[in-house]
Amino acid sequence: MSGPDDVRLSFEADTRNIALARTVAAAMAARADLPIDQLEDARLAVDEAVSQIIVAAPAGAEVVCIMSAEPGSLSITVSAPGTQEPSRTTFSWTVLNALVDSLDAQLADGRLTFMLLIERADVDA
Amino acid sequence: MSGSTSWTEENRAREHELLRLLVTAVHDRAVIRDELVTMHLPLVRHLARKYADRGEPFEDLLQVGTVGLITAIDRFDIERGNELSTFAAPYITGEIRRHFRDKAWSVRVPRGLQELQAPLSAATERLTRELQRSPTVGELSAALNVPEDVVLDAMEARHSYSASSLDQELEAGTLALPSIDTALDRIDERETLGPLLEALSPRDRQIITRRFFDEWSQRQIADELGISQMHVSRILARTLEQLRAQLQEPAD
Repeated sequence: MSGPDDVRLSFEADTRNIALARTVAAAMAARADLPIDQLEDARLAVDEAVSQIIVAAPAGAEVVCIMSAEPGSLSITVSAPGTQEPSRTTFSWTVLNALVDSLDAQLADGRLTFMLLIERADVDA
Repeated sequence: MSGSTSWTEENRAREHELLRLLVTAVHDRAVIRDELVTMHLPLVRHLARKYADRGEPFEDLLQVGTVGLITAIDRFDIERGNELSTFAAPYITGEIRRHFRDKAWSVRVPRGLQELQAPLSAATERLTRELQRSPTVGELSAALNVPEDVVLDAMEARHSYSASSLDQELEAGTLALPSIDTALDRIDERETLGPLLEALSPRDRQIITRRFFDEWSQRQIADELGISQMHVSRILARTLEQLRAQLQEPAD
């Protein structure tokens, strides 16, 4: 269910659109009340996930990016048409994995989806 | 071809020869491409000149225009029978326009956002000390007495400043370089990535290694190197983009 702190972005699989997704990620991280170093991590993670999915997607495909902010946590899914699951041993996956608290990718109905979760690191939040 | 004065039959013959060679070349692609680029530099210069009075250094326009030319050469299909110059012109112009679009942000950063940079840095440093962690946008907004979206805009604006001026913040200092070999063992692209990481400046390599292999936070890295967390963040963004581009390049 979507609420006021859910945002859905849809755009063509073109690298020019990465900056858009990145900017929205920063705004959503602020809404999730993440400290700014984690906000910057969210930007980098979206940058990486969207880049990876654009490289794998057929030209002109639609990329859908959904971000949900809750107090202290930001969850992001990035999806596009795809035919194979990403390798878990690439540099890109290592980078993504270091930037987020939880990372998964799944292939279903011809779409590849990355699922990212960033949670506030400090407990006094 | 517009803009060049001496495009002889000889040039044309050589161009076609090079383009044909490029179709099958494996090892010499770069050499062949370089010659084609050189032949068409007058076209890049001609197109760049149209944008010369818009406040960007002409050298920069030539450089991005040349990127467009290279893309065009890579995508050109000799079998289609059209001229490379005709095919390349929109790529060259496209790159130059994109350069202006990308630049527009930093050029048009409103003065208010620029004036906010120093207070934003000061507030970030002070709150980080007080809270023992990075502040949130909400906390910065309260401290600076400006709306949250203005804080976000000011943070975004930092990313659009030229990297060179910001990079002067730190070059000195000796770094205890962590070994990247063990970290690389797990990575598919270690053969390519290793040399790319080696080629980074010691500081950039340190930051990449700490964040992605040791999984330190940006804050921890900033403390270790004695630089601001925003600076760490900019270096991460720039270096990642660079590595990604290099990893995607087909080795030829």
